[in-house]
Amino acid sequence: MYCITDEQIEYILSDIRRNGVDMEDLQYNLLDHICCIIEQELKENDDFERFYHATLRRFYRRDLREIEEETINLLTFKNYYAMRKVLIASGVFSVFAFVTGSAFKFMYWPGASMLLTLGIGSFSLLFLPLLFILKAREAKAAADKFVVAVGTAVGALFSMAILFIVQHWPGANMMLFSAIGIAAFILLPVYFFTGIRRPETRLNTIIMSIILVGIIGLQFTMVRLRPSASQTWIRMVTYAQDEELLRKMQATHPPGKQAAEINEISDQLKGFVLQRSIGMDSIPPGFDKMGLHLNEGNLGKEFDNNGNGVQLLVRLRNAVNTYNAALNNEALKIPVNNSVLATDPAMTGALYSNLSVLSSINQLQRYLALAENNKAAPAQ
Amino acid sequence: MIFSSELIKGTLKTIVLKLLADNSKMYGYEITQRVKDLTKDRIQLTEGALYPTLHALEEEGLVTTELEYNGKRARKYYRLSPSGKKRSRERVTEFSDFVETMKLLLDIQPKTT
Repeated sequence: MYCITDEQIEYILSDIRRNGVDMEDLQYNLLDHICCIIEQELKENDDFERFYHATLRRFYRRDLREIEEETINLLTFKNYYAMRKVLIASGVFSVFAFVTGSAFKFMYWPGASMLLTLGIGSFSLLFLPLLFILKAREAKAAADKFVVAVGTAVGALFSMAILFIVQHWPGANMMLFSAIGIAAFILLPVYFFTGIRRPETRLNTIIMSIILVGIIGLQFTMVRLRPSASQTWIRMVTYAQDEELLRKMQATHPPGKQAAEINEISDQLKGFVLQRSIGMDSIPPGFDKMGLHLNEGNLGKEFDNNGNGVQLLVRLRNAVNTYNAALNNEALKIPVNNSVLATDPAMTGALYSNLSVLSSINQLQRYLALAENNKAAPAQ
Repeated sequence: MIFSSELIKGTLKTIVLKLLADNSKMYGYEITQRVKDLTKDRIQLTEGALYPTLHALEEEGLVTTELEYNGKRARKYYRLSPSGKKRSRERVTEFSDFVETMKLLLDIQPKTT
């Protein structure tokens, strides 16, 4: 009987691994099997390597990996092939819808939102879960399964967060931060410490971990940089100036009854928006010393469905129309076409940001003040 | 004559289950050798078919396994679980019925010696 040395066993084992057999169980099965054959059939003075490779050649048709593939196929459920087809189809569809959706968005063509929603939705709710089911079956150790599960969850959460950001849906930032947080504090440590312990995965683990840290870091930087503080500040100061100007225009002559009503509704509306953004009904005097920040953001739930904001917008539109109808002088009528009032009130929440609503209402009030002042003291 | 792998493929599980029923525990190489001996080299199990099947049987809970370490090597022994024993009997009965039916269908006369 041929006696196999430890070096030869090492040689066989690393050759099996090199040939793409990753399942430890299968590696040892094949190793033992080959050793048995060599012990039984190899003569003392024969060439070990040549005999080994000739023996291994009998094990497969294409390559050694097919044994593992066949094993996985048998282990995975009967509908493995169907699942794989859906996986690939959903992956291709997601990428296609995402790329065309982005292009549409870039060109301001209609259908961009739908394509993006479909693409990212099918990626995170179909492709990634399927990938998890198939990959989790291959992963033997509990830690590997955990990494696959958390990894796909982070991926799904992250891509959904991007969708929410693009669509200006509420909760986007929270999703993005959760995804980055889970990736940094759960996924990365578990992945790193399970991978580094196994010699065969050590190098890959180190490289992948560095890449992951890089991606997480870049993401985090991007989140922190957006929106730029100086831009926010400039917009807030500009709006405060607009309000100051409005007050000066209003102070010249007291408004009539109709105008007073419009102003009242307008101030209520602005109060709603500001309350959500800075927690106050108006920008207080001395705001520049308070470190106040009015960030651009969405309008919040008052402007969804039939919230108070929507009802106030309807009232404002009616009041302005009544006011315009009563005016004799065409030139003084308040132009609503390019203002927030031109939009369906129920859609305002989806289309306008807090800052654009504030400045649009401010403009309407200035037009109103202009008309009122002209009524009281007609221009020559 | 060596039987084609298509013929063997459908019966591989039955062969393995029956062998394990007759021998308390076996390892992969042993199974291939036993089949070779019993069939006088006419059935040769390929490694590429045997190990996936053994893993599948393990996953289905029909066999239990134990690893025996020998230096750098580890030998995996397979043993029938109670449900495996039951399945082994079922598969053998089913297959012998199948053979009877095939005899009728293909009109094969049993050879008289």
